[in-house]
Amino acid sequence: MLLIQTVYGQKSLLALDEHDKYIYYQVVSQPGASADSLDKKALGFVKESLPKSSVKTTGDTTIILKDRFVTYSVLAFAKHESGEIKFTLTIECKNDKYRYWLTDFVFIPYEKNRYGVFVPSNGVEIPIEKSSSHVDKKEAEGYLDQTGAFCKQLGDQLKSYMLADHPTNKKTEQQPVVKKVVTDKW
Amino acid sequence: MKKVLLLLSLFIIAILSANAATMPVDTGKVGTGADPKDPPLIFSGSVDTYWKYDFSGHGNIPTSFASDQNSVSIGMVDLGVKKKVGKAAFVGELSFGPRSDQSIPTSGYHIQNLYVSYDVTDKFNLSAGYMSTFIGYEVISPTGNFNYSTSYLFTNGPFQNAGFKATYAFSDKVSLMAGIFNNYWNTYTSFRTVGNTTTSGDVSTFGAQLTVTPAKGWTAYLNVATGSYSGTEFDLTTAYQITDAFKLGLNAATFSAPNSGGGFDGVALYPQLAVSKVVTLGLRGEYFEYKSVGTTPSSNVTGLTATANIKAGAITLIPEIRFDNKSSAFPIGFVDSNGASTNSATQFLIAAVYAF
Repeated sequence: MLLIQTVYGQKSLLALDEHDKYIYYQVVSQPGASADSLDKKALGFVKESLPKSSVKTTGDTTIILKDRFVTYSVLAFAKHESGEIKFTLTIECKNDKYRYWLTDFVFIPYEKNRYGVFVPSNGVEIPIEKSSSHVDKKEAEGYLDQTGAFCKQLGDQLKSYMLADHPTNKKTEQQPVVKKVVTDKW
Repeated sequence: MKKVLLLLSLFIIAILSANAATMPVDTGKVGTGADPKDPPLIFSGSVDTYWKYDFSGHGNIPTSFASDQNSVSIGMVDLGVKKKVGKAAFVGELSFGPRSDQSIPTSGYHIQNLYVSYDVTDKFNLSAGYMSTFIGYEVISPTGNFNYSTSYLFTNGPFQNAGFKATYAFSDKVSLMAGIFNNYWNTYTSFRTVGNTTTSGDVSTFGAQLTVTPAKGWTAYLNVATGSYSGTEFDLTTAYQITDAFKLGLNAATFSAPNSGGGFDGVALYPQLAVSKVVTLGLRGEYFEYKSVGTTPSSNVTGLTATANIKAGAITLIPEIRFDNKSSAFPIGFVDSNGASTNSATQFLIAAVYAF
């Protein structure tokens, strides 16, 4: 139930941009942090948390990447992948602050193949702004809720990562202490 | 007949009125792409039921499943479970019911898929076990087909191939599968018959599948399965989502039985048009021919099937009408309302499939 409550209503986290596309946009202040350090941390976050994304960096402090997340439908005990949502994440850094936004959400429904595995439906891609014209209203709202929840989750993880220290030098591993005894002298 | 139609009407009204709301959904883990770091155990399945009426009053058209005449009948309960952790995965799929019994090679067994899989690399996968066949357009599960009745190509081709296969993706547009499978199709274990004795078997069917994606929304599979026990089938299966609303599918195959034992050729076309969010209309036009063997001449049948898929949440209602016309030499007979032999048959059916 907690999980369901977390997802419901998350659509309100999304806004519409000047192109009438859904967007999740946040500006975060981090006083004392240089643009360069923030950019390095952002790259580190992308490598650790979104390893399969296709990353493009433009300029010195802008990261653009494309990735996707899987959506699940839940029915009592039964749970399976219902589709995936592609998105574009942009992170820009300046001294003392950074901003990020997720947009270009596209839903790809899954279907079960002959081998019992859910796979993307061939050639079906639905911009999330148009999902209500392809699926019923409740399902479309469900996708928006999931998108909002995912954006918040990703954003919270990014914020935590940006606040934390990430030393570049590896600590030398401490060898475990093994007690030794000399049994021939006592 | 009138009572049946009345009951069906009430059933249809109930289905269309059902508030089959989209169930609450769950987010995938962050950073997962299409491969969650911590994926859940996946459950899925379906149940289906149907009523079919052949206008002759007799049970004609002997393609697979939905074989009962003028009866509210059941298909099957299908239950699947899948889990992937890291590079390793398994799939187990069970089924129960008449459709299951007609699709499973051994009475009392209920396994549709049971296999393990390992991603050696992102591009190279190995799988082994009992798996639904890679050949053909239609499948056993009613959720995998647009039409509820099945084609002659499906009925006469393999249902399952148990074996070991390797798949390599050269790019996101081209991949190749090659494998070795049990000597016979549709068997849980391989076997050989020597005289009246069944002895140990033989893993001697070779199979391969070339998958190409020439354009977005268009995928084609070139398949071959060949072995001294199972014969040789070449198959082309392709589907193209030409527009958001229109999809065109094609299946063509030729099969040669071992020891010059005949075989078949066939082609089927599957145009589908989504006329609204909930209604898709489709046709299946099929030409199927048994090859001549010995003194038995070739024979053929053509089938035209018109089907609608009407979605109400998790339920799909499938009304369908089918016209088959065969040559006189076709080995399976049709009968008319008087019980006399005829070359044509017409059937109407309505089915409901619940997928979860």
